[in-house]
Amino acid sequence: MMIDNPYVPIKTGILDVIDETSTIKTFSLVPDKPLHFKAGQFIEMTVPGMGEAPFTPSSSPYDKSKLEVTIMKAGRVTGRIHELKKGDVVGLRGPYGKEYPLNEFEGKEILLVGGGVGLAPLRALFLALAHDIDKYKDVLFCCGSRTPSDIIFKDCILDKWQKLDKRVNFRVTVDKKDDQWKGKEGLVTTTLDNLKINLKNSVAVVCGPPIMMKFTTFKLIEVGYKEDQIYLSMEKNMSCGIGKCGHCRMGDYYACKDGPVFRYDKISNIHEIWD
Amino acid sequence: MDTYFINRPNLDRLAKSLSRTYRVYVPVKSEGNRSYKKVGDAGLVDAIIGEIRPTETIKSFYFPARTKVSEYFPGNLPEKKDRPVAIIGAKSCDLASLAVMDYVFKQDTFKDPFYIAKRDEGLIISSDCTCYGESCFCVAIGVMPYPTVEFDINLSEIESGYVAEVGSDKGEKVIKEYSKLFQTVGHYLEKKEANRKKLKDELVEHVKLKDIPAKDSIQGLFKKKFDANLWEETVKTCVECGACNVICPACHCFVLKDQKKDGAFERLRLWDSCLLLSFAMVAGGANPRKLLAQRLRNRFDKKFNFFPEKVGKFGCTGCGRCTEACPGKIDIREVLSNLAK
Repeated sequence: MMIDNPYVPIKTGILDVIDETSTIKTFSLVPDKPLHFKAGQFIEMTVPGMGEAPFTPSSSPYDKSKLEVTIMKAGRVTGRIHELKKGDVVGLRGPYGKEYPLNEFEGKEILLVGGGVGLAPLRALFLALAHDIDKYKDVLFCCGSRTPSDIIFKDCILDKWQKLDKRVNFRVTVDKKDDQWKGKEGLVTTTLDNLKINLKNSVAVVCGPPIMMKFTTFKLIEVGYKEDQIYLSMEKNMSCGIGKCGHCRMGDYYACKDGPVFRYDKISNIHEIWD
Repeated sequence: MDTYFINRPNLDRLAKSLSRTYRVYVPVKSEGNRSYKKVGDAGLVDAIIGEIRPTETIKSFYFPARTKVSEYFPGNLPEKKDRPVAIIGAKSCDLASLAVMDYVFKQDTFKDPFYIAKRDEGLIISSDCTCYGESCFCVAIGVMPYPTVEFDINLSEIESGYVAEVGSDKGEKVIKEYSKLFQTVGHYLEKKEANRKKLKDELVEHVKLKDIPAKDSIQGLFKKKFDANLWEETVKTCVECGACNVICPACHCFVLKDQKKDGAFERLRLWDSCLLLSFAMVAGGANPRKLLAQRLRNRFDKKFNFFPEKVGKFGCTGCGRCTEACPGKIDIREVLSNLAK
């Protein structure tokens, strides 16, 4: 008898498709077999007959009825995913990799810094934190997007989540404002000026495009965070998702198996991590 | 473990008998090129049990270049029972690479059922090298020109036959089942040790010419030379063909590719090459190893830094195939030697 075949995708229905921006959509998915992830873990999504790509779910890990992934049109597979409609069938494998270590976050002031579609994994994390908000001291969520029309989860970020709890606060910025935008203009790193956080009792979580991750991390170090207080979600080419195919290796780690969530001190001496 | 003697006609009989249970492969030589050939009714007539490793590695038997891993949905493949593979005449460098392959596909967190089935059901009757190739350098990195691990039975060529050493319970069972074919080993044992020592000494002398640093220093030297311009220098003649990956017994990287076939969807596991530009590139275009020099360095990083860290062994067994295959004449021994310069 063969052991479990880890390459097999679970048949999954698309329950709904939400347009977030002109290049980003959120897909609500219901797999035939339950697939429960923890915030920060990723799944491999199959477009039947075409290929797979890795995504970190953006929905609450406590929502067992469905799973959402928020996907930017960036390549061959994601281009095809964007053509999919409600009722279409895809495949899922996973969840894979290491999640955010929520138990290490307890009692702390948590700083989330997200850029663009990098806000997607942070949404899952934010919803997990909000679910047990009494366990944490407070949460400051810094959100950066290119322009106001590039902001994803708009209703949540600009409205709903802001009213959630007094321990939850937001700093939202856009790189370039338009006529309607009344908020802050500037790169996401500018939201890290004048932090009213007790750094000794804080952790920072960063997710976004490579260049944003790099400069945000450097800024966090500059404002006084230690390397072991910073958590990064590394985006690498993950084909198998299970530490075999070799593509996502970073030094002694595979991003798929040992990450995608890494504490910065574990990877800060590895070459080529920011590209 | 126990040791016996088997003469050539009896080895031929053994191979033919094993063909009932296994698909039996042996090295053969044609126009100077060695490859594996399936044993048929003619038995071992053109088999080369001694000499050196064939050009092709044994990894294809356990991790073929193309494997269908799923047909979805639902996804699992019908269990199809091929006869398992028995290899007669596998060489030490290839057996040593199995430590790396087993780590990746068998021992690490997730298991690969395709590799495991082929490995567990297979039989390996290995053999000592009786000469060395120009590109051979196994002894420089701790691999002997005779098998020390992973064989079920090993053959050491002596005059009219072979000293057969048992290496596993599976090997023991084969010898018991065909006990009539085996004799006591007698004085051949000393002869075998003398042959082994002679070839090893010759190979040590051959490798000395290449000035490869001591094996225990290689990982440290690699780390020191990570940022050196050695990689830009070395890569100048690389044409990014990936032959070194394909021909390497310890290169295991692959890519999953999906396709439509006869109205169904199937997933293939295909060998991939870390020298290719797209290897580490993500959909958005970011690529941690944009430069060919970075990709070449990555290959050495994996073999001489990553695997020593994970498995305690190099992801290189000194078989020299990559040196032979490289159209850019990149000699892995020279790269290792340059680490110390």
